[in-house]
Amino acid sequence: MEKYLYIALFAPLVSSLFSSLFTAKPKKQFVGVIASLLIATSFVSSVILGFYILGGGEAIHVELMTWINTGGLYIPFGFVVDEISVTMMFVVTLVSMLVHIYSNGYMDHDPSFNRFFAWLSAFVFSMMVLVMSDNFAGLFIGWEGVGLCSWGLIGFWYYKESATWAANEAFIMNRIADLGMLIGLFLLYWNTGSLQYDVVFSKVALLDHSTLIWIGIFLFIGAMGKSAQFPLHTWLADAMEGPTPVSALIHAATMVTAGVYLVIRSNPLYDLVPEVGIFIASLGTFVAFFAASMALVNRDMKRIIAYSTLSQLGYMFAAAGLGAYWVALFHLMAHAFFKALLFLGAGNVMHAMHDELDPFKMGALKEKMKWTWIMMTVASFALAGVFPLAGFFSKDTILEAAFVDHHYVIYGVLLFTAALTAFYSFRLVALIFHGNDRYSQFGIHPHEAYNYMLWAMAPLFFFAIIAGIMQTPFFEMVEEALNAREYHIHSEAVKWIMLIGTQVLVIASIFYAYRKYNRNDITVPDGTSKTENRLCYKVLFNQYYIPYFYEEYLVKPYRELSGLFWKKFDLRVVDATVDGIAKILYNTGEETRGMQSGNLSVMLRWMVVGLVILLIFAGAVGLAVRYSDKILSFLSALGV
Amino acid sequence: MEIGLSHYLILSTILFGIGLYGVMSRKNLLMLFFATEILLNSVNIGFAAISHYLGDLTGQMFAFFVIAIAASEVAVGLGLLVVWFKRHNRIDLDEMMSMRG
Amino acid sequence: MLENILTILIFFPLIAGILGFAIDKNSFRAYGIAVSLVEFVLSLLLWFYYDPNIAGMQFVETLPLIPTFGINYFVGVDGISMFIIILAAFFTLIGIASLPKTPNEKNMIITLLFLQMTMVGVFAALDAIVFYIFWEFSLVPMIYIIGAWGGPLRIYASIKFFLYTFAGSLIMLVGMLFMAYFYYQTTGVWSFSIEDWYNLVLPKSYQIWLFLAFFIGFAIKVPMFPFHTWLPYAHGQAPTIGSVILAAILLKMGTYAFVRFSLPLFPDASVFFMVPIATISIIMIVYTAMVAYAQEDIKQVVAYSSISHMGVIILGTFALNVEGISGSIFLMIGHGVVSGALFLLVGVIYERRHTKLMSEFGGLAHVMPRYAAIFGIFLMASVGLPLTINFIGEFLSLLGFYKQSHILTLVAGTAIIVGAIYMLSAFKKAFFGNVTKEENKNLPDVNKTELVALIPLVAITIWLGVYPKPVLDPINKSVTRLVKFMHEKSRTPDGKIRIQDPLKVKTKKVCSDCASCKEGE
Repeated sequence: MEKYLYIALFAPLVSSLFSSLFTAKPKKQFVGVIASLLIATSFVSSVILGFYILGGGEAIHVELMTWINTGGLYIPFGFVVDEISVTMMFVVTLVSMLVHIYSNGYMDHDPSFNRFFAWLSAFVFSMMVLVMSDNFAGLFIGWEGVGLCSWGLIGFWYYKESATWAANEAFIMNRIADLGMLIGLFLLYWNTGSLQYDVVFSKVALLDHSTLIWIGIFLFIGAMGKSAQFPLHTWLADAMEGPTPVSALIHAATMVTAGVYLVIRSNPLYDLVPEVGIFIASLGTFVAFFAASMALVNRDMKRIIAYSTLSQLGYMFAAAGLGAYWVALFHLMAHAFFKALLFLGAGNVMHAMHDELDPFKMGALKEKMKWTWIMMTVASFALAGVFPLAGFFSKDTILEAAFVDHHYVIYGVLLFTAALTAFYSFRLVALIFHGNDRYSQFGIHPHEAYNYMLWAMAPLFFFAIIAGIMQTPFFEMVEEALNAREYHIHSEAVKWIMLIGTQVLVIASIFYAYRKYNRNDITVPDGTSKTENRLCYKVLFNQYYIPYFYEEYLVKPYRELSGLFWKKFDLRVVDATVDGIAKILYNTGEETRGMQSGNLSVMLRWMVVGLVILLIFAGAVGLAVRYSDKILSFLSALGV
Repeated sequence: MEIGLSHYLILSTILFGIGLYGVMSRKNLLMLFFATEILLNSVNIGFAAISHYLGDLTGQMFAFFVIAIAASEVAVGLGLLVVWFKRHNRIDLDEMMSMRG
Repeated sequence: MLENILTILIFFPLIAGILGFAIDKNSFRAYGIAVSLVEFVLSLLLWFYYDPNIAGMQFVETLPLIPTFGINYFVGVDGISMFIIILAAFFTLIGIASLPKTPNEKNMIITLLFLQMTMVGVFAALDAIVFYIFWEFSLVPMIYIIGAWGGPLRIYASIKFFLYTFAGSLIMLVGMLFMAYFYYQTTGVWSFSIEDWYNLVLPKSYQIWLFLAFFIGFAIKVPMFPFHTWLPYAHGQAPTIGSVILAAILLKMGTYAFVRFSLPLFPDASVFFMVPIATISIIMIVYTAMVAYAQEDIKQVVAYSSISHMGVIILGTFALNVEGISGSIFLMIGHGVVSGALFLLVGVIYERRHTKLMSEFGGLAHVMPRYAAIFGIFLMASVGLPLTINFIGEFLSLLGFYKQSHILTLVAGTAIIVGAIYMLSAFKKAFFGNVTKEENKNLPDVNKTELVALIPLVAITIWLGVYPKPVLDPINKSVTRLVKFMHEKSRTPDGKIRIQDPLKVKTKKVCSDCASCKEGE
C-alpha cells in the first residue's frame, strides 16, 4: 500500500516538473494531456487507498527521510494515510484531475498554457503534502506551498495590474496568518518536544489549560488566513482575478479548506479547549452570515460564488468549533463537489460571454448552454441544501449539531444564512440563464463549451447529486478517528418540523429569487435605481467598506511610514549622525590646518602656546597632587 | 642687599621672556638666532644659579653642554642662513614657505 | 597535505594572485577560474575529510609567531566555520566565472583572490591576533573593488565603508588586548588563542565591558541598527561582484564572530544583553524591511533586505540554545547563497540596462521569462518559503528564540510578513505588468555565462532546503558543544536558567515548570 501512497503523492510533482520544462515554449497540447494523466494516476492511487481504509485497513505511516534534526527538534518527511487524510486526498485528487482535464479546454487559447499546468500540478503536490504529512512542519510546508501556487495562479495573467495586486494581497494576508501558525508550532514544540501528530496529541492532555488555549488560538489564526475567515477574508474575493479553473480548484474546493482540515486534524487539542471551540464556531457562524450578505447584491459572477464559498467555510468552522469534526469534514467534501461544479460552470459562461462577469449583462443563456445550465442549477440546489442533494445532508447535519448542543443562536443564524444562500444562488442562476436576453446588445455570441469540458464536469455533477448517500459509510469510517457521534433530536416531532421547516424556508427563498430575477424587464443597473441608493445596499455592495478601510488605514500608512523611515529617519537622522561625526573631525582638521602654514614665525608662536598650555597643565596636576586630601574630602562631602 | 638665588632666577625669567618675545616677533632670521641665544642663555643662568645653590656641579655641566650646543647650532644655522641669503637675497621668515602644508 | 589543508586554503589564493601578475592579461580569466576552482575543490576536500562525529576543532595547525606574547598562527575549523569557508570559496569561483566585461579584469581577479585569502583566514583563525589581522585585511581588497570599479559615489562609499568598520574593529582590538592581559594576570602566561580564552571565567562586570567592546566591532560589520548606514552606500556603489561577496561572506564575519567570541567568552554578559540585542534585531527586521519597501532602486531593496535578514540571524544567535544558534548559522549560509544570488541577478539586469531603478523596468517577465523564473525562486527563498534554504534557518532561529521570549518572537516573526511585502512589491514593479519602456522590449534573456553562476545557486537553495542534514549535522554537533560549554561556564543564576544544558534539556517538560513559558500566558 505504501507504493500507492508514494504514487499519489509524487505523481503531481512529476507532472509539475515535466510541465515546467516547457514553460518558456509555446503551447504544447501533450503537456496538458500528460499532466492530466499523471494527476489521474494520483487519483486512482488515492481511491485505492481510500477503499483500503474504508475496508477497515490500518493507517499507513511512512517516513521518507529526515528533514530537520537539531537540538531536540526532529522533523522527518513523514506521511500518513488515515481516515482524515484519505478523505482529503480523495477530494483533492478528484477535483484536481477534473480541473486539469477541464483546463485543457479552458486554457486552450492561452499562450502560457504550459506554465499553467506547471503551477496547477505544483499546487496539487503542495496540497497533497499538506493533507498527508504526519507532522505540523510538513503541514506547514504544504501550507506555504499552496500559498505560493495560489500566488502564482492568481497572478497568472501577470500583465494585469489587478491580478498581480490580488496575488500579492493573498500572499501577504496569508503570511500574516502564517505567523500565528508558526507561533502555534513553536508553542507545541517547546511544550511537547515534538511536532509529530501522534506525539503531540498523546501529550496535549498533560499540558496546562492556558497553554492549550494559546496553542488553539494561534493555530486557528493560521487557519483563518488560509480559509479566509474574517478579518482576513478580503483576499478570497480578489483572488477571483485568476483563471476560473484555479478558482474552482484552489479557491473553492481545496486550498481554502486547509484551515478546516487543520482544525479537524487537531481535534484532540480542540476537544480540550471548548472555549476556543465556541469562539471558532461563533466566528464561523458570523462569517457564514457576513459573506452571504455580501453575495446578495454583488454584480460579479465569480465574486458571488467566492462569497458563497466563504459562507460555506463559515459553516464548516461552525461545525468544527462545536466538536462535530466529522460533519465539518463531510461538508468540506460535499462542498468541494458542488462548488467546483459551480465554478467550472461559471467558467463555461465566462468563455461563452468573452470574460464578461456581470450577470446582469447575460440572461436567457439556458437555450444556448443547456448542459451548463442544468449542471449549475443542480449545483445551486445542492448548495442551497435541497433534498436529496449533497448539501442537504451535510448542511442539515451542521444545523442539527448546533441544535442538539443547545447553541440556538448559532443555529438560528445558520438557518437564516441557509435562506440567504438559496436566494443569492438562484438570483445568480436566474440572472444568467433565465429572463430576457441582455447579452446581444453587447455583441456577444455565446456558445456551449467543448464536450470534454462538460464531461470533465460530469463526475462532479454526479457526486453533487449522490454525495448524500455516502454519509453513513463516511460516518462509520471516521467514527473512531474523529470521535464522531450522531446527532439525534430526541423528539421525533421536533425533528420533522425542523427538517421540513428548513426545506420550506429554502424553497421559499428560491422561489422569491426566481420571482424577482426571472423577468423579462431586467436591465443593467446603472446606479440610479432606488435600491442601489439605499444605505444597506451600498454597505453590502462595498463589502462593508472593509477593503476600503484596509487600503486607507493599513496599506497607505504603511507605505507612507516606510517612505518616512527611509527619507526622514534613515537618511536624515541615522546616516546624518554618522556623517556628522565624520564632518566634525573633518572640519576640525580643516580649521586647524592653518597652523601648518609653513610660516616659521607662526609655528613658533604655536610652539609658545603649546608650552604655556603644558606649563598650566603641569601646574594644575602639581596643585592637585599637593592638595589631593582636601579635594578628595570635598568630593566625598559632595557625595561623589 | 645680598644677591640671592631668587634674583638670579628673576633675571633668568626676564631674559627668557625677552627671548620668547624676540622669537615670536622677529621676522629676520638673524634676529631670530639672537633671540634663541638669549633664551638659551637665560636657561644657562638658571642652571648655574641652582647648581651653586644646591652645591651640585651637574647643573653647571649642563650649562656648558648648552653653550657647546648653542655654538654648534649657530655655526650650522649661520651657514645655512648664508646659503639661503645667497640664493634668495633675503632672509625674511615670512617668505620661507616651502614647507607649507 | 591534509594536515596543512587550512594553510593551503588560506595562502593558495594569495600565492596564485601574486604569481598572477606574471600572467598575460588576455588569458587571465581562465587562470582566475582555474585557481578558484582548485580552491573550491580543496574546500570540498575539507568537508569530505571533516569528521562529523567530532564536535571540536579539526585540521588544527599551530606555528609560533611571537611566543613571548603567546601569539601563534593557530587555525582550525569546526562545524560552525567550515561551511562559511566553503561558501567563500564557492562564491569566489562563481564570482570570477560570471564576471561581466570589466575594465582591468586582471586587477579585479587578483583583488578577488586576495579577498578570498582574507575571508578564509577570518573563518579559520583561532588566534585573536591572526583573526584580527585577516579581519582588517579583508577591508583592503573590498575598498579597492568599490573604489576602483564602483558607481559615481564610489570614493565616498568606500571611505565610509573603510572608516566605519575600521573604527569599530579598533575598539574590538582593545577588547582583545585586554582579554589577553587578563589571561596573563590569571594564569601568568600570555595567550591570544581563543581556545585558551574559552577556559577563562571572567567576572560579570568584566564580561559586560568586554562584550560591549567586541560588540561595537561586530555590530558595525553585521551591520546592526543603527550602525548600518554604510551598507546601502557600499552596495549601491559597488560593482556586482563586490556586492555579492560583501553580502554573501563579509557580513557573515560579524555574525560568525558573535558565535565564536561573544557567546562562549561572555556567557553571562550574553544573557544580560539578550533582551537589548533582541530588541535591536527586531528593529533591524521591521524597520529595515519597511525602508526596503520604500526603495526605488532594486539593488537597495536587496541591500536593505540583507540587513533585515541579519536581524533574524542575530536573534537566533542570542536564543542561546542549540535550535536557535544552529538555525542562525544555517541562515548565515542560506542568506549568503540567496542574497549573493539576488545581487548577481540585479547585476544581470544592470548589465543590460545600466540602471537599477524599478520604475525603468516593468513587464520583464514578458521579455526575460527565464530570468524572471530564477529571480522568482530566489525571491521565494528570500521570503523564507519552506523547502528553500532560508526557511530552515529562519524557522530554527525563531523557534529557538521563542524559548527565551514569546512576545519578542511574535514581533520578530513579522519578518515573514514584512519580508513578503517588500519582496513581492519589488517583484511586481520590475517583472509584472506590461512592457512600457521601449528599451526593455528587446532585452536578451539570461545567457550561458550567467546561467553557469545561477543554476548551481538554485540547486543549492533547493537541495539544502529539502535535505539540510549534511550541513546541519556538523553544525548541530559543534553548537551542542558550544552551548553545553556556555552552560557550564555561566556563573549567574539567570545564566544557568537561560542557557540550558543541551544534553539534559528534556523537552518533555510540561509548561508549568519552566519560568520562560509563563510570561506569555
